[in-house]
Formats: sequence, structure tokens, C-alpha cells
Amino acid sequence: MNGLPELGTRPVLEARGLSMHFGSFCALDSADFCLYAGRALALVGESGSGKSTCAKLLTHVLSASAGHIFHAGRDVTKLMGRKAVLDYRAAVQMVFQDPFAALNPAHTVDHHLTRPLALHRPDLSAAQRRDAVADLLRAVDLDPAITRHKYPHEMSGGQRQRVNLARALAVNPSVVIADEPTSMLDVSIRLSVLDTFRDLKRERGIAMLYITHDIATARYVAEETAVIFRGRIVERGPTAQVIDNPRHPYTRLLLAAVPEVGSPFGAGNSLASLAAQVRESCEAPGTLREVTPGHWVRFAA
Amino acid sequence: MTEPILCVRDLCVDYATPNGLSRAVKNVTFDISAGEVLGLAGESGSGKSTVAFAIARLHRPPAFITGGSITLAGTDVLALKDRDLRAWRWRDLSVVLQSAMNALNPVLRVSAQFADMFKAHGIRDKADIRARTGELLQMVGIKADRMDDYPHQFSGGMRQRIVIAMALALRPKLVVMDEPTTALDVVVQRELLEEVAALRHKLGFAVLFITHDLALMSQFCDRVGVMLRGQLIELSTPTAMISGPQQDYTRRLWASIPPLHPKPGETLVRMKETPQ
Ligand SMILES: Nc1ncnc2c1ncn2[C@@H]1O[C@H](COP(=O)(O)OP(=O)(O)OP(=O)(O)O)[C@@H](O)[C@H]1O
Ligand SMILES: Nc1ncnc2c1ncn2[C@@H]1O[C@H](COP(=O)(O)OP(=O)(O)OP(=O)(O)O)[C@@H](O)[C@H]1O
Ligand SMILES: [Mg+2]
Ligand SMILES: [Mg+2]
Repeated sequence: MNGLPELGTRPVLEARGLSMHFGSFCALDSADFCLYAGRALALVGESGSGKSTCAKLLTHVLSASAGHIFHAGRDVTKLMGRKAVLDYRAAVQMVFQDPFAALNPAHTVDHHLTRPLALHRPDLSAAQRRDAVADLLRAVDLDPAITRHKYPHEMSGGQRQRVNLARALAVNPSVVIADEPTSMLDVSIRLSVLDTFRDLKRERGIAMLYITHDIATARYVAEETAVIFRGRIVERGPTAQVIDNPRHPYTRLLLAAVPEVGSPFGAGNSLASLAAQVRESCEAPGTLREVTPGHWVRFAA
Repeated sequence: MTEPILCVRDLCVDYATPNGLSRAVKNVTFDISAGEVLGLAGESGSGKSTVAFAIARLHRPPAFITGGSITLAGTDVLALKDRDLRAWRWRDLSVVLQSAMNALNPVLRVSAQFADMFKAHGIRDKADIRARTGELLQMVGIKADRMDDYPHQFSGGMRQRIVIAMALALRPKLVVMDEPTTALDVVVQRELLEEVAALRHKLGFAVLFITHDLALMSQFCDRVGVMLRGQLIELSTPTAMISGPQQDYTRRLWASIPPLHPKPGETLVRMKETPQ
């Protein structure tokens, strides 16, 4: 069993042997992981490795070829009926990479937040809803007075992503899946947006899956990190361990490729051949083994 | 450096808003030499994309160019007639945008999208087009035999690589890249930009490279410009800018990069968007 160490608490969301095949192609191969309340798991990996596929399975945009998803202990791999799907989609919210594409250009911020509130909490009066919108905007560090009546194009990428987060929070989810929420924002803004994600996750006890290419940011959001390569989790453990003491060749390659100030390309530091080598050495599926408590690494045999 | 291939002089771009004109780009002036990679950095909303769109003649109302000039290889870009733009784009200048991966036509096979572009520029031989398409895909690390797949069959990163391959197809003089690699993982980003760096030496195209990633910019660009509220506040080589930033803002920008291995007790600068 490749499970996480017991934390004494039950996971909010659990993936067990989760797999996705597109025809003969395996996009996700038997992924096991748990998301816990108030904690985040970073899912880091190369482009095309199956991260978004994983998010789509967890949010029921795609249905799994094999494996199970448990939410609050219940098997939700197959959902029966419209209400079950709607309830599940409210509980497991998504924040997407492109902050612009996710917002309707014809509607104001107010509209984007009022709608989910009206659906999810029909008990609120119009005045209470207005207050709730203001609270949501403040929670994501936006000034309601300035932001409420803006249209998406009148805001910067960072502000739009804060609105997307506020919209996800509007329905009081137990899980937030953020698929590269800051990769379209500048580095200087990323940290403050990620601070907001981290704080809200803690304050609201949200279980978070943070999907990213940027392993350097994982440390600031996620207690745990899983590295995925070609549909397989190749290393998983406490974030600091994975970054400071990487054991799998792909994790090492990933870390070597993180942009670094003051080492220009072309000065004999090409990663292309190393990358080719690593890709070749990772053909076989191998097995995950625990190297230190909570730190799992996939070995060839 | 050689002769400038691109000259931007006193460029001003305004957006028409319900409250009147708002100036997003203020008297921006810079050159790019043939074969040079120039980076533009700066916070969200500082005007980087507005500059890029103006240079590529992709700006649309409510954006208006209200001053200055843009010259690419001797051509007055702002004077180009609509009918000349079609030929000019891809051949003289090509563009890879922030969410270009979503710009591929979802109902057309990738090979058909390459074919459309080649045909629009007078290349009609079917076998030649397929051979060139295969070569270009291979150049960005995608197997040639996938050219007949549809965009949704590729991951976001793979789609972005396809767009970059298209942008280089007709050997343009300048490639404008607005966040071209944000959808890619760092390994592929590194491989791809190493490839672009090598190709630009071989083919001689210049690049205007916009990214939020300053560290990446310092690795890939010959010179870096920093924009703040529509102005180009600093322009120099990465080495000069890191060792002696001219502006406090530039210094803070470099200090906000999250290090992979933070030193104990090190505090990072947390910057926020300029309130709007
Ligand atoms: N509908 C589909 N049909 C066929 N193949 C698909 C489909 N969706 C995804 N794939 C394939 O599955 C693999 C994983 O894609 P996915 O979008 O999950 O990657 P990702 O890790 O999110 O990549 P990126 O970082 O580039 O967004 C890719 O090889 C992709 O081509
Ligand atoms: N259609 C529009 N109408 C009004 N203002 C706009 C419009 N598009 C952009 N702006 C404004 O122009 C300014 C510059 O925007 P631009 O998109 O060029 O910034 P950027 O530096 O590319 O930001 P990012 O890093 O988020 O892509 C911003 O203040 C923005 O609010
Ligand atoms: Mg993805
Ligand atoms: Mg932009």
C-alpha cells in the first residue's frame, strides 16, 4: 500500500489506484494520494504528465478508467443522479490556470460571486448576499468598494485570480483543486496570491491540491509534494524533504531546471542531454518504496 | 551589436474607458538588434502585453496607439494597411501569446493548421508542407507522426510547443513571445528555450520575450527592460541590472523571486499589484 502516513485524521479526499486511459494511452497510472483538511498536496510534474487529467477525474469532468475516489469516506467514483453531481461539484471546487478564460467578460465581479452564493445559499437576503460578496473579496485581499463593479478585462491577472478563488470559496467547499493558479502571474505577485491560498486553506480547513510546474513555490503552500512523471507518481513526501533531498532522477532533473538568476543558457549548462537520459531511464513502471518516514520514491525494480 | 531590426520610439497606447482615455503605455522607446533577445519584465498590468500587441499590430479597440512609431526592418509598422498585414505576419513577425495553446482551432487537425498558414504564404506543395510540418514539430520535441491529431489530444504544454513551431515556420525577423512558456514545466521550458536560443543564432531572428519569471529572463535574454505603470523604467543587461539596479522597484522585483533553497531567516519581498 502506497498510502500516506496516518495523521490520525481521515482524509477529506482520497485517490486510490486512480487511472485514466485515452485509448491505449495511459495518462494517469494508478495514483494514490490523500488530501487532508487544512493541508495542501502539491502535484508537480512535466507538461503532459497527467496533472490536469488527475484534476478532471477528481472533479468528475472525466470518469476514471480504474481506481476509486473517496470523499469524506464515501466512494464517489461513480455519482448517481444530478443532485449528487451538483453537491459534489460544490464541495470540490476548481481554480484554473488562465484567470481570464475562467471569467465571463460580459459580467462584473459582483455577478460572478453573487451567482454561486444565490445557488448555494438561497436563504440569504439580497442585503446579506451583498455582505457575503464583500466578505469574500476581503478574504482574498481585494477591496470590495473598488473591485465589486469591475469587469474581468479591467483587472490584472493577479486580481482576476483572486476573484476566481473568491468564487470557489463562495460555495464553502471542502476541497479546492488549483490547477497552476499562479503560472500566468508574475513571480512578484505569485507569492502574495499563494499566501492567500495558504492562509485560506488553514483558516477554512480546506483540503487543497496545488498543481504546479513551479516546484520552488510548493514550499510556500503545500506541506506535501508529489512529483508526477508520465502519469506516474515517482516521488512523494514532505515538501522540504522532496526539494532538499530529492531521490528520484526526474525530481533531480526538475530541480536542476528551475530558473536561476545569473546562469545564462549556453555556458555549457545544457540540460537537453540529461533530460533525454532521465526520460529513457524512467521507462519501466517500477514500484514506490518508503525511504524515510513519509518519503516515497519509485525504484526501477 | 548589429543594426537595430526593431525601433520603438515614444510609443503611447491608450485604452478608451467609460471614464475617458487611460494611458497604458507611456513614451516607451527601445531597439532590438537583429538576432537579439530582449526581455520585458514588470508586474501584472504594467503594459508589457500592450506593447507587444502594438508591435504585432494586434491591438484592437478600446486600445488606441496615440503616439510614437514602430519600425521593423525598415517597414513603418503602424502604416501597414490591413491587406498587407496578413502577409507581413508570420513572414516578418510572428507572435506566440500567453494562452496561444487555446488559440489553436479545436476542430482542425494540427497538420491542417500548419497547411493553412503555409498556403496563405504561397507554399502549396502538399508533400513539402507535410515534410516541413514534421520537421518543425520535431524541433519542439513532438513526434512528427502526431501531426494529424487534434489539439485536445495534446496537453497544454504540447499545444504551446506546437504554436511556437508555427511561429518559427516562415523564418520571421522578429518573434514576439508573450509568456510563451508559462504553460510548460521547467524542464520542457528549459529545453525549448535552449532550442530557441540555438535557433536564433542559426536563423538570426530576434525575440521580444515577455515573462513574469525574472530568473528565467536573466538566463535567456541579452538585455532586460523593466516596465512599471506603462513606463520603461530600466533597460540593461541582466548582469548589470542584478549587480546595480538603477531603481528601487527593480531591486525589489529581483528580491521577490522565491528561492528553491531559502536561507534560514531570509525574508522574501512580497509585492502586490498596483491598486487599480
Ligand atoms: N481527451 C484526451 N484525449 C487523448 N489524450 C488526452 C486527452 N486529454 C489528455 N490527453 C493526454 O494525456 C496526457 C496528460 O495530459 P494532461 O492535460 O493531464 O497533462 P498535464 O500534466 O496537465 O500537462 P500540462 O502541464 O501541459 O498542463 C497528455 O499526453 C495528453 O496528450
Ligand atoms: N481592454 C482594456 N480596457 C481597459 N484597460 C485595459 C484593457 N486591457 C488592458 N488594460 C489596462 O492596461 C494596462 C496594461 O495591461 P497589459 O495587459 O498590457 O499588462 P501586462 O503587463 O501585460 O500584464 P500581465 O502581466 O498581467 O499580462 C493595465 O492597467 C490594464 O488594466
Ligand atoms: Mg495541465
Ligand atoms: Mg500580459
